Amino acid sequence: MDLQKLMDLPGTLAAFTYTDKGELQSHLLREGTELSEEMLDLLSRSCVANLAIAGLEARGWESLTGQTGFQPLKGFSVVGLEWSVVADGNCGVVVRNRDVDYEATFKALQA
Amino acid sequence: MHIVKQLMAIPGVIAAGEYAYRGDRYSYQGALTDEFARMASILCRANTLSVNMQSEMLDSFAENSGLRPVQGWIVRGAEVTVCAVGNYFSFIENRDELLNDVMTIMRAKVGDVQDDLLVNLYARLGGDTREALY
Repeated sequence: MDLQKLMDLPGTLAAFTYTDKGELQSHLLREGTELSEEMLDLLSRSCVANLAIAGLEARGWESLTGQTGFQPLKGFSVVGLEWSVVADGNCGVVVRNRDVDYEATFKALQA
Repeated sequence: MHIVKQLMAIPGVIAAGEYAYRGDRYSYQGALTDEFARMASILCRANTLSVNMQSEMLDSFAENSGLRPVQGWIVRGAEVTVCAVGNYFSFIENRDELLNDVMTIMRAKVGDVQDDLLVNLYARLGGDTREALY
């Protein structure tokens, strides 16, 4: 994943990759942001956990309801007060809410 | 206009509703059965509590980092997306610009979720606000 490309998305404060276990692998931080490597490490773990839970919910929902369109999962986002973290696969981005384009961000993470 | 009605007026919104943090009280409009809406309400409650717990952990690393209080979350599926802001949820099709529009409307109509949201919402149901929420 080209983190620099993700940093070009509007409002991106950080872009990062992580292992399947949620250990931070690589990251880029926007100059001046208050985010830190330590925070990205914790966010990485939450991304893995949330994607796993969302995957379980998608599979369970389809199985229980017979509705389709949830799988395969294309990502998960936590919307905070000032910024959102958007994750898919082994990659995540932190995006400022006032500039965020969720659709473009999900799309970029799948590229 | 009520937020659920406003959301349901948008082409591509499959269903929208309001859920309670207890998970067993809800209202909704759209293409869900009553049982599916009950399940969606429980799912939304579980995810909301989970991401709030995570944000509290993150806060212990960096106070006022900009994540807390959590406003909502999004599950992006292959063709369908589920999004929640505060105690409202919506199921939407993955159409161009729909997710951004729905999130903008939900954030604007719900307003900034405050730190004591769980207690406040629970109180609105007429429950004992001192009762354990987790």
